[in-house]
Amino acid sequence: MRCLVDLLESSIAKKISVALAGILLVGFLAVHLAGNLFLLAGPQAFNGYAEHLANNPLLPAAEILLAALFLWHIAAALVARAQNRKARPHGYQGQRAKGGRTWGSRSMTATALLLLAFLIVHLKSFRFAPDRSDLYALVMKDFQNKYYVGFYVLAMGALALHLSHGIQSAFQTFGVNHPRYTPWIKRASVAAAVLLAAGFAFLPVWALVTGGAR
Amino acid sequence: MNFTLKIWRQKSAKAAGRFVFYQVSGVSADMSFLEMLDLLNEGLIAKGEEPVAFDHDCREGICGMCSLVINGQAHGPDKNTTTCQLYMRRFKNGDTIIVEPFRARAFPTLRDLTVDRSAFDRIMAAGGFISTNTGSAPEANSVPVSKPKADAAMDAAACIGCGACVAACPNAAAMLFVAAKVSHMALLPQGQPERERRVLAMRKAMDEEGFGNCSNEYECEAACPKGISVSNIARLNREYARAALFFPDHAESGKS
Repeated sequence: MRCLVDLLESSIAKKISVALAGILLVGFLAVHLAGNLFLLAGPQAFNGYAEHLANNPLLPAAEILLAALFLWHIAAALVARAQNRKARPHGYQGQRAKGGRTWGSRSMTATALLLLAFLIVHLKSFRFAPDRSDLYALVMKDFQNKYYVGFYVLAMGALALHLSHGIQSAFQTFGVNHPRYTPWIKRASVAAAVLLAAGFAFLPVWALVTGGAR
Repeated sequence: MNFTLKIWRQKSAKAAGRFVFYQVSGVSADMSFLEMLDLLNEGLIAKGEEPVAFDHDCREGICGMCSLVINGQAHGPDKNTTTCQLYMRRFKNGDTIIVEPFRARAFPTLRDLTVDRSAFDRIMAAGGFISTNTGSAPEANSVPVSKPKADAAMDAAACIGCGACVAACPNAAAMLFVAAKVSHMALLPQGQPERERRVLAMRKAMDEEGFGNCSNEYECEAACPKGISVSNIARLNREYARAALFFPDHAESGKS
């Protein structure tokens, strides 16, 4: 506990820890997306994958680690956000950017809050659903609801924006900055953000439009 | 040229401030922004009013004393420019220009457009120095420094400590300033004895002054009149992680 408080006390340690949790969460998203793609192969493939995952003895530990990463990423960022607000009690009359900020960096707090709302709905509808015996049917039922799909796609738009800043920002935070590589890191960050978000958003739209694989 | 100025007026650090509109006419396009303010103040004094207080010193872009947020941008709209090197030809005749002080909790407003930037001095006092004997300069070639490192250190040392990075940062963070100072000394052999102690102490002093957290928005680099690169912030992050993980005993002791 003491070392966690120490982490929050130092602005740089805090930001490194938020970036580290964030990058690990991006890794989780990539694996999660790969799993979701089983939906395209139909109920047997998807439910088989889900069962395979549920029977893995390491799953509970992985879930706890994942929850800890999410909680730390959110909590430490909220602490930083509160400190940042306090650091400028009196704002400007229309502060104008001089070319540093991006759409992604400007909207980090807004996209974070939207993603948090999505995360809560998402966990409630799938992870903590009362009956998880046929996950494929459970997922497809929600994916036939156009409001649910709309919210899902909106949240993935937020994910794309959030990661377009987040991934490249993490590299900077880890001290990786080089005139030759940083422009490519920035481009790859945006590309990875868009690919991940588009991959996730594709599935509910596909399910809504085609009714799913038969 | 004629301008309408919307200037922040505040009698003292404790007093509440407000914006006041002023008309200034007869401005030459070749006047600097500060000379335009001089003209305004001469008019105010002639009328028996209190002149607008603002910081300035060398007026050639090297002292770091002038400040101001002009139309929402630290040191005005130009890149790599201090307010004293910003000329009125950059504006259109008849423009309304909003002039505000740098805003940050760590930079309290003293009067009108002047702010107290001594937080930077306290950060420097915490670790922004090297221990060396003064008075007897050693032979310059006795400590070799590679050209790329000398260049990078010189780029970081170009920081004039004006505080525009803090003013422009959406979070009022002082990372670019601290990064420039830490980088400048970490890159050179003369800075090695206090390398770990310096970064740990300066980080601590920075946080204690109440600056915000860096979120890599890079507005600091865009606003810096000396074009200090955010690659220095990456170096600061590396230096800090290295010192905090492997040399934590250097934090309090003061020895190197």
